[in-house]
Amino acid sequence: MNPALLSLVFLLIGLVVGFLAQRSRMCFVAGFRDWILVRDTELLTGLFAFLATVWVLTSVLGSLGMLHRGVPVYGHAAAELGTVPWGSLPTGVGRFFWSSLGGGFLVGVFSVIAGGCVMRQHVLCAQGDRNALLYLAGFYGAVAVYYGLLSRFFGWVYG
Amino acid sequence: MRKKAFVKPWVFGIAAGSIFVLAEAVFPISPPSAYAFCLSCHVRDLVNTVLNAAFSARYQVTEVAERALLLTSPGVLLGAFIAARLHGEHKARKADRAILSAVVGFLVMIIGILIFGCPTRIVLRAGYGEFYGIAALAGMFAGIAASTILMRLRIRMGWGGR
Repeated sequence: MNPALLSLVFLLIGLVVGFLAQRSRMCFVAGFRDWILVRDTELLTGLFAFLATVWVLTSVLGSLGMLHRGVPVYGHAAAELGTVPWGSLPTGVGRFFWSSLGGGFLVGVFSVIAGGCVMRQHVLCAQGDRNALLYLAGFYGAVAVYYGLLSRFFGWVYG
Repeated sequence: MRKKAFVKPWVFGIAAGSIFVLAEAVFPISPPSAYAFCLSCHVRDLVNTVLNAAFSARYQVTEVAERALLLTSPGVLLGAFIAARLHGEHKARKADRAILSAVVGFLVMIIGILIFGCPTRIVLRAGYGEFYGIAALAGMFAGIAASTILMRLRIRMGWGGR
């Protein structure tokens, strides 16, 4: 497929989702937070509707053979995933399982501190929130810092 | 004043979920699966593509990023901006916690690079039935619960400022 066309596909996905996210105030973190704080289920409903939709559609399309559902390949780290069992844990649960669990925990904590998931911060930034703008500055800047300075210290995450 | 036409969150969930899965079924974006939308990974690929082109570096990008620019994050910004403008919800808000926001954004991106997902893609991967995605989703729920309960405790006990 033509690179320009495929780039446009990603831009369009972003446009539509950004538009809908602004209108619905959807956030993948605030749903569970609001439920714990005030038992408000509106955003949590969005999360579970999303999860259920993806689950049903991937099951249907996957069984029809229209979707590639195998072991996901994540760039160069793929070869190392789950190859070394960690300590006395059952075999098959590699260290990346614990990294995912712990990393997910930290993403949850930091997102609650920031007041929303990454998509919500994009929407807030587009609405004129300067805090979200600085969040995104840190977010974009982290890529260069990670690959320039930090990546060599994090091999153990996959090991 | 125009009447607010809200999209219900469950409508967003169904629409976004359908878009992500169908986009992956229709367009050739598959090699990393569940990759139609991820703000961490797509921003990572976009920045690294630019860095590789500008400084002839060889930072990691996924296979799709070698075939296209992943303009999802600018797209979300633009789409949300259009929506906010159309409905008169665009208003500047002062940065009252500038450093905290920037540091938190930095940390979320570092973790996002490490575990391959922003919160949205963690849920997307869990919906795909991927083992590590479900693990990350469980961890994320635990993290939200822990920090929310701590936050409520802090407010009730009157610790800290504000």
